[in-house]
Amino acid sequence: MTILRRTILAASALPLLRAGALAQSSKTYRVGLVSIGPPESGILSPGMIQNFAKRGYVEGRNIEFERRAAQGKPERLPGFIDELVAKPVDVIVTSSYPAAAAAKERGGKIPIVVINSGDPVATGLAASLAHPGSNITGVSEIATELSAKRLALLKEAVPSVRAVAVLWNADDFGMTLRYQAAEVEAKRAGMLIVPLGVHAPDDFDTAFSEMTKQPPDAILMVTDILTILNRKRVIDFAREHRLPAIYEYARLVRDGGLMSYGPDEAGIADRAAGLADRILKGANPADLPLELPSRFQLAVNLQTAKTLDLTIPEAILVRADDVVE
Amino acid sequence: MSVPDAPAANRPRRPLIQKYLAALFIAVVVPLLANGISEAWFGYRDQRVMLGQRLRSEAQSAAGKIQGFLDDITDQLRWTVQLPWREGTDEQHRFDVLRLMSQAPAVVDVMLIDGSGRERLHVSRVNPDIVNSRVDHSQDPAVIGARASRLWYGPVTLYGGSEPHLAIAVAGPRAANGVTLAVINLKLIWDVISSIHVGQSGDAFVLDGAGRLVAHPDISLVLRGDDDPAAARLRELQQAMTAAGEDTTEGINAEHRPVIAAMAPISGPGWAAFVEEPAAEAFAPIRAALWRTGLLLLLGAVFAAGLGYLLACRMVGPIRLLGQGAERIGAGRFDQKIEITTGDELQDLAQRFNEMAVELALSQERSERIARLKRFLAPQVAELVEGSDQEKLLDSHRAEVVVIFCDLRGFTSFAGRAGAEEVMGLVQEYYEALGGIITRHEATLTCFMGDGLMLLLNAPVPCPAPALRGLQMAVEMQAAMQSVVSSWRARGHEIGFGVGLAKGPATVGRIGYEGRSDYTAIGNVVNLASRICAAAADGQILIDQAAAAEIGDAYPLTPLGTRPLRGFSEAVPVFSVAAASPAGAVLHAAG
Repeated sequence: MTILRRTILAASALPLLRAGALAQSSKTYRVGLVSIGPPESGILSPGMIQNFAKRGYVEGRNIEFERRAAQGKPERLPGFIDELVAKPVDVIVTSSYPAAAAAKERGGKIPIVVINSGDPVATGLAASLAHPGSNITGVSEIATELSAKRLALLKEAVPSVRAVAVLWNADDFGMTLRYQAAEVEAKRAGMLIVPLGVHAPDDFDTAFSEMTKQPPDAILMVTDILTILNRKRVIDFAREHRLPAIYEYARLVRDGGLMSYGPDEAGIADRAAGLADRILKGANPADLPLELPSRFQLAVNLQTAKTLDLTIPEAILVRADDVVE
Repeated sequence: MSVPDAPAANRPRRPLIQKYLAALFIAVVVPLLANGISEAWFGYRDQRVMLGQRLRSEAQSAAGKIQGFLDDITDQLRWTVQLPWREGTDEQHRFDVLRLMSQAPAVVDVMLIDGSGRERLHVSRVNPDIVNSRVDHSQDPAVIGARASRLWYGPVTLYGGSEPHLAIAVAGPRAANGVTLAVINLKLIWDVISSIHVGQSGDAFVLDGAGRLVAHPDISLVLRGDDDPAAARLRELQQAMTAAGEDTTEGINAEHRPVIAAMAPISGPGWAAFVEEPAAEAFAPIRAALWRTGLLLLLGAVFAAGLGYLLACRMVGPIRLLGQGAERIGAGRFDQKIEITTGDELQDLAQRFNEMAVELALSQERSERIARLKRFLAPQVAELVEGSDQEKLLDSHRAEVVVIFCDLRGFTSFAGRAGAEEVMGLVQEYYEALGGIITRHEATLTCFMGDGLMLLLNAPVPCPAPALRGLQMAVEMQAAMQSVVSSWRARGHEIGFGVGLAKGPATVGRIGYEGRSDYTAIGNVVNLASRICAAAADGQILIDQAAAAEIGDAYPLTPLGTRPLRGFSEAVPVFSVAAASPAGAVLHAAG
């Protein structure tokens, strides 16, 4: 090879090398994903990775995820946040109010994207929807009102229902608000609420025995990590005792629940990834308005209805987004 | 082409090369510049018009898409007012609403109002359904508006100060069918607005009648509410267009980037759709055209400079060669030719120079030759000899010549006595007195020897009656010398002048060596003339027999009998000219 050719080759290779160096040196973002729930579900599921992937983040190349699952033990959350701060991560995505609160308390100035945390304005996480004002943004929930809506849908699906047992985590203020909304609606619709607040997994047995002693007409389960982790027991109990039940998320219907009504979980996770993306690209979370869920899903499991000898009315089916047959 | 530098002193103040460069530069660059500028200007105008047209049509298309989004919802809402409110149709109406809401996710709230303006059904995605509340809505602007024109668009309201919602009311074909009032979550226009792309990276947004940002690909901007500065910048774009009465403008967009924006009305809700394209991108073709023009100008300038330099070199090079040639000729060096092969007038000129050099060389050679001839020939004879076939004339040959010797008497002893200046002054006077006479008689001067002279006649140029001619010359010389001699004598110098003349055959020709040649005669007659001269007394002219025979009666001669001469075994008969003065006078009269 002549010197000239070698020089030309070297010169033409130079930009490639530079581009390569740029790709090498280009930042690898660190994203903390903190859920109070079990691993591999919600924001810790592969679906969340997909949400980032479609925005150009490839795990191991330009993004690293720090996944933390508290598995129903909120006391583990502060430790998780400390770990993420020590890394540090560029943004923390939290699922559940305790996770959001822990991130806000211990996360310093790291931007936080919150979901499944109720109404961040009501809980004081953010100043307003339009201008969150601090390092927290995310997707708000219209959760409280929806309890009443669920009660109404349950009543419409099974008109004979009068007494409804409400299962909720009585330790969680947000969940208590949801219970109270259901109580107001019950009063308005002339129904009766059987409050079955739980504090720990063991409390479910107490609740079940209560219901066995004085059977309600139906169950409304307010969904948080405590009830989610014990959902199997609730669904099984409802089937055993032929009790219609309504939940918050479609996945519980796919697990055998009769029906659910709530915001589209996948859509919310996608928006959380969208907000995290904006933050990674330099946006100030204080300038990113909190979003509200824009789509709601009504799911009905017709198999479960059949085991309960229930005929779901057309008025429910016509608006169902997800029907398990 | 190598052009040796002329000496600095000779360098012209405004060299040709500069003039050529300037002329060609102007000739090429000025038209290019004019063309470039006009093209850039017209190109810019055309592009600007085209850009405006393109953005306008993009804006119209965007407005159509937004209107289409609303029209789809409106069309579905109309299904809910197809039937009049009668006994038992409540369930039917309810199903219409439920179906609508499952079909149109943007619809978050629907209220059915019967012909009398009473609320019959209120379905929400968030709150429990309210059936037959019979609340009176007959005075609602929505109901009044829908009843008046069958379709009513409400103002955009912000849910929680953030999410924009729009109320739409439709009325049925009959008053009894009532009015449907629906609330639309405008966040769902995002699907529509974010799918609109203008150019490479341009996009679209929507402002409502009050200038509130209704739709933008960056949903966060929409959700920031009324007091957001980014939305205010977009309103400024709208105001700029409204103020100018145009539907395109240049300005700053929400992200602080300079953009070109166009606007088109969305007639239904009284909104406006905007498209924006980054100015850098929109003007890229114009900028590219300007760059092209600039590059062309640069190339043109370089080309003009190169061409000018080349042409000037082609011109100046030969001119310098000619100049150097002229200098050489001036210095008398004719041997070197000027080599110019440009094939044009300059080559002709060089040819002329070369020819001139040749002619000058010939002419100089000739004048040098004449100068050489003049050393022994009278000037007029020299010209004659030079003009004729001189080589032959000067060739050695035998000829019947007349040889004349003359010298001063008593000069040697004078020279021994007198100072150098006096001697030379006297010799000078002597030659001046004789020179004119010798020249006039066209005698050939073969040599000077101090005070002696040897003259030839009939060689190299033959002449008639050479002896007579020589005699006449001698008489004149003697006459001239006698007046000179008398003045010398008056100064006390005893000096006389004698002449000897002989005729006879001799070998004549040039003798000498390279650069130093003389013409001379060799033969007995030369000795004879010399000896006769030696025998002549002051003022006397002695002639040998042969000369006397030729002269005959033409001139009065006096035979002096024979004289013994050194080098001659026998005494030689000599003659003298009878009377010098009278004869001179006669000769003068005759001449």
